[in-house]
Amino acid sequence: MTVSIATLVLGFVIGYLGQRSRLCFVSGYRDFILTHNTTLLKGVVGAFLGALGGYILFSHLGGVIPEFPIFLNVGIGTFRSEWLIMLVGGLGVGIVGVLSGGCPYRMHVLAAEGRKTQWFYLLGFYIGLVFYNLVTVHLMVVIRALL
Amino acid sequence: MSLRQVKVSPFQAGLVLGVGSALVQAYFKVIPPLAYGVCMVCHPRDLFNWIADHLFNLNWNFSMASTNWPVLTVVGVVLGALTAAYLHGELHFRPAQRPLFYFVNGFLMINFGLIIGACPIRIVLLSAYGDFTGVFTWVCIVAGVVLGTWFMRWYARRSVERQPSS
Repeated sequence: MTVSIATLVLGFVIGYLGQRSRLCFVSGYRDFILTHNTTLLKGVVGAFLGALGGYILFSHLGGVIPEFPIFLNVGIGTFRSEWLIMLVGGLGVGIVGVLSGGCPYRMHVLAAEGRKTQWFYLLGFYIGLVFYNLVTVHLMVVIRALL
Repeated sequence: MSLRQVKVSPFQAGLVLGVGSALVQAYFKVIPPLAYGVCMVCHPRDLFNWIADHLFNLNWNFSMASTNWPVLTVVGVVLGALTAAYLHGELHFRPAQRPLFYFVNGFLMINFGLIIGACPIRIVLLSAYGDFTGVFTWVCIVAGVVLGTWFMRWYARRSVERQPSS
């Protein structure tokens, strides 16, 4: 119950702030590349600094921040396969993010503003989730075995 | 000064998001996995699969943080954005443009996101946690954005060049 309430409240706050500030974790890089505008990029920097400060502070205050800083989250044996998957997946997220005009967070915010274009994005997003559960999960097992 | 007049910069919003995600992990059990305070790919997956699992016994994967109760970040984000848009008179129903294109983009985004197990927000959180793979994936996402932006530039230029001169 705690998890649901805490995430609902945090989600509400960042949804509200995201709508007011146009915060986006893809458009920041895109705007910087296209026009050297750093307004949205500062949001990414803010999130990094806020999270870093939060992890340091709460670990000193006795919060649950285990293994911080973690440094390497991947087993040595799975090094090559995991990094290849991260490379392909990361590139995919970046390219699709630019083509759709923002990160999934921004798309949810825009959909909540009443933009029907983003409703179709979210329709694809959640149908894609079913596809992931039915197909991609099993495909990834095969790919990991082959790598 | 009322809430409506308060201006929020992206930096301030990002700062709140970062601290908030660390806070829910530290004191509200949004863990494991690590640095899981906000993820707009994994949290929708957790909620969707948790409901599917409890209603239809499908045995679809969700994180351990959602074992007893699901994470509701995505519901909160939509409600928060809806409230902000309503309060500031920005809630307008606009017609859809290129719906199939956006449908495919959403479809691809969740699949790529779940393959790396994170959205661009959680990659930043993982990097702040000191995770080298998070930093590497962050670089890959930025490289993807660069490639995507180049493609859009090239496509726009080509479209202009192909237009008949009047």
